[in-house]
Amino acid sequence: MSTLLTVSEITKEIKQILEDGFANVSIIGEISGFKAHVSGHWYFNLKDSNAVISCTMWKGVNSSVFFTPQDGMKVIVGGRITVYPLRGNYQVDVRSMRPAGAGELQAAFELLKQKLAAEGLFDQKYKKPLPVLSKKIGIITAIDGAAFQDMISVAERRFPLVEILVSPTRVQGTGAAENIAENIKELNKYKDIDIIILARGGGSIEDLWAFNEEIVARAIFDSKIPIVTGVGHEVDFTIADFVADLRAPTPSAAMELLTPDKNDFISFISEFENNSLQMIERIFQSKKEKVHNALDSYGFRTPAGILRRRTQEVDNILYKILQCTDKNILIKNNRLSLLVKSIESHDLQRTLKKGFVLVKQESKFITRSEYFNKDTAASLKFYDGEVTVKISE
Amino acid sequence: MKKKNINTFESELSRLQEISDLLDNDELDLETAMKLYEEGVELSSSCIQTLKGAEVRITEIKKKLDKIKTEDEEFLE
Repeated sequence: MSTLLTVSEITKEIKQILEDGFANVSIIGEISGFKAHVSGHWYFNLKDSNAVISCTMWKGVNSSVFFTPQDGMKVIVGGRITVYPLRGNYQVDVRSMRPAGAGELQAAFELLKQKLAAEGLFDQKYKKPLPVLSKKIGIITAIDGAAFQDMISVAERRFPLVEILVSPTRVQGTGAAENIAENIKELNKYKDIDIIILARGGGSIEDLWAFNEEIVARAIFDSKIPIVTGVGHEVDFTIADFVADLRAPTPSAAMELLTPDKNDFISFISEFENNSLQMIERIFQSKKEKVHNALDSYGFRTPAGILRRRTQEVDNILYKILQCTDKNILIKNNRLSLLVKSIESHDLQRTLKKGFVLVKQESKFITRSEYFNKDTAASLKFYDGEVTVKISE
Repeated sequence: MKKKNINTFESELSRLQEISDLLDNDELDLETAMKLYEEGVELSSSCIQTLKGAEVRITEIKKKLDKIKTEDEEFLE
């Protein structure tokens, strides 16, 4: 016959047996009904096709889990069985949790990616434009990491006028995702920041997992300041990359994208003197051309034309004057010779009046006796008339 | 070293660009062109000096006592 026990007594015995017998267990199973309570504790079930067991993971303990568990994720938990007498049930007090395989994280990644994509968090229409020139850059990263130093080196080399406001952040392990999300909100309080770089150096998928957390994705999406991600190596894609306004392959590349090369400025500035001298020379040449064109223009040509025309008129008049003068001289000459003739004839008449006679033979005056022809008739010219005489033997 | 604000640099540079554009006009009178050129030469030497003398200014956000303290930290070469 069995001993009669109260509920408390039997529960106490069960508790002892179970807790002693399963003080340290490892269980593989799929998460379902996952709930992160505001208190920080996690409540969920682990199940397989035939059984289910409830689990708790306390606040201080679950912070060591680098990922946020999701329903459907296959995990291996370590812990012990505890009995809760008030409810008469047993549960696993989980002390550790890890993905059951590498594929589990990948699956979680895909799941969250699909969920956020469906919500539109990756939509191009939400991408904020990047500033033309980022004067002040906010950086969210581990300040002691190589990634930070790399970014500073790039800024120094390319555009040392840039200002950097760094928010030292846990980018891996416990609480990393929360810390990232918190610092994105924090940097959004600085109104003079043009852009935020969210960065982390290379690492395993576990190392980079914080960037695959929903809380980070939502903080990026909610940021008023544009965010550029530079997480891991070129081959690593995180959820953060999809939500960000721009994904750079690495932290250095992110800084490179945001800083102009100072050498471009220097060569532009150096070119200025050379170019502007050429431009001034061109301005000068164009002025010179204009003066020449003006001189050749109709307006300037007209006075010269008038001058030429007047000159021609003067030439014509002069020519006429000269012609007239010549004619006058000719007329005067003629008259003069007539006068001379008349004067000469007048002189002859006076001589004839005195009684001299002019002898003419065959219309020629005979001025010497030897020219006289005795056989021919002669004409004698007296003052008062002519007579013809016939010479006879 | 004297630090020049990036805004000063930016406005100087945009003025330089403006001068460059203004000079690229044959209609400009010579006197104005020479004045612009002089201004440009001054600006260009100022810009180059600023660029060459600059150092990245880094401020770290430190959260202590629930208050955000900022601290200038110079990264010297």
